[in-house]
Amino acid sequence: MQADLEQPTVTAQSVASFLYLEARLVDEHRYQEWLALWQESATLYWVPCNDDDIDPSRHVSIIYDDHDRLVQRVERLLSGSVLAQQPLPKMRRVISNIEIQTAANGELEVASNFILATARAGRQELWAGRTIHRLRVSGGALTIIAKKVLLNNSDQEIPLLQFLI
Amino acid sequence: MSSQFDESPIDYLSLVGGGRVHGSLYRDPRVFQREIEQIWNKVWVYLGHESEVPNAGDFLRREIGTQPVLIVRGDDGAVRVFFNRCRHRGNLLCNREYGNATTFRCPYHAWTYGKDGALLEPTFEEGYDNSLKREQFGLTLVPRQDAYRGLIFASLSPTGCSLREHLGQVTEFIDLFMDVSPSGEIDLLSGVQKLRYRGNWKLLPENSLEGDYHGPFIHRIAFELHSRRSGLKMSSLYENQVPDVIRSLPGGHMVEDYRGAAMSPPARPPTPARKAYIEAMETRYGQKKAHELLSTIPPLVFVFPNLIYIMTHIRRLQPVSVDETLVYYHPVLLKGAPPEINTARLREHEFGFGPAGFISPDDIEIMERNQVGVQAQGNDWQYIARGLHRVKMMPGGGTSGYTMDENHLRGMWEHYAHLMDRSSSSDVH
Repeated sequence: MQADLEQPTVTAQSVASFLYLEARLVDEHRYQEWLALWQESATLYWVPCNDDDIDPSRHVSIIYDDHDRLVQRVERLLSGSVLAQQPLPKMRRVISNIEIQTAANGELEVASNFILATARAGRQELWAGRTIHRLRVSGGALTIIAKKVLLNNSDQEIPLLQFLI
Repeated sequence: MSSQFDESPIDYLSLVGGGRVHGSLYRDPRVFQREIEQIWNKVWVYLGHESEVPNAGDFLRREIGTQPVLIVRGDDGAVRVFFNRCRHRGNLLCNREYGNATTFRCPYHAWTYGKDGALLEPTFEEGYDNSLKREQFGLTLVPRQDAYRGLIFASLSPTGCSLREHLGQVTEFIDLFMDVSPSGEIDLLSGVQKLRYRGNWKLLPENSLEGDYHGPFIHRIAFELHSRRSGLKMSSLYENQVPDVIRSLPGGHMVEDYRGAAMSPPARPPTPARKAYIEAMETRYGQKKAHELLSTIPPLVFVFPNLIYIMTHIRRLQPVSVDETLVYYHPVLLKGAPPEINTARLREHEFGFGPAGFISPDDIEIMERNQVGVQAQGNDWQYIARGLHRVKMMPGGGTSGYTMDENHLRGMWEHYAHLMDRSSSSDVH
């Protein structure tokens, strides 16, 4: 961690812990608690399609959620009627290679790699990629402003992605 | 039904009809092999749209059934479809999925071809006594190709009906979904979501065009979220059974025709971009036709065997094996519409479709379970008789039915059985 942290209460360890917490909440289908990690305004939960650097106004994404749609995504998952969540997949992800940079407004841009294994309906799937979090530091607490997930296989024929990545 | 090791011929005509379809048609590898021969290697197959190769040298890799082809726009502006195979030793000529090239050089021994497929450079030509006849070793064009409103189709059979004959009445419905563009042209340049499911390819058209029957059961939450956001009711037809919506057309095509079911206008006043779009539509089509085009949902269309249009996108399907299928969701942008309109179309598309959407993933999950279900062979028939008692024969062929009827599925399966039937002539496609 660089000497960036004007916010003395945030350390590399606390950023890592935040990412681990987020990972655990989604792995354990604790969607409401996960949603509470997000800033309510100017939110972007983005999984680009085909390539990492696309112009989302001209190019389709796999997920491109503002806060309203993120809330809808969670509501749908909680409705119990998502067939690909019946039964709920068992999921565990490993977060690693965390690199932290300060960005404008004292926000943090945190890059990390993940490997996620999901098990459901008689098979285990592996997902991998890199995540770029934009985090806001406020009173020593972190919230997510934006999360961009660069899937290794965003340009391949993939199975359903009916969980939070 | 016989097992897959049985060598006796399959009587396809006996496996379809009377409101039933036999389960073996979804699971028997022999059936799949015959589909490749009788359907994918013969009929007109959709490959892509001319907007995907706008400039000379632009190319795309696609498949016809299980055979790789290469679509290239030449210096003369013509779009050509070649087998994607070097004439030397059969290596895959072009490995990239899309791009722009001045020449196509095989990586194996560097035989090099022009955009028109001509062999430019066989390399170390003295080994052929400097007498290799280049004109005999150009890339091989597919036997037949043609296009309708920019949609590129190809057929691996040198004979058979023309593309226009194959499409028949379905062109009327292709026109309807393309005419929501104020230039009359669409653009498929906004990327493609790709998905793989563990199920037979025929499950996709069956599920994609199903009126409202499964909607309230598997899409309830998605429809609810959509209505709350848009003010439009996605499933209003469900309560209000409308006749003449579900259409089966000659050639195995299927349509959901919503012209008889006008939508209520959106509650919110139009944005400036929407206003500009409506004005552009009126300029092109006149007020009356523009209003007709904008006051209903464009038809949902299935062009046999692999093109589906639904709401926001063209869906291209590609069979892999009897129980595995690839799906490509190409959002349809409207050339000449304000950029905000097209961006909104992308966001609307992502709401419903692709691997992480709120609508089609429930369909994909259902199809995968369907594939498991038909492994159970007691009473080995699917029942598709809904609306059989009230089916209406249409002038010019085909049938029409109510919103939830299955007359379109019966039409598709009859066409399918006809193509698969051993005794049928080679000209019926």
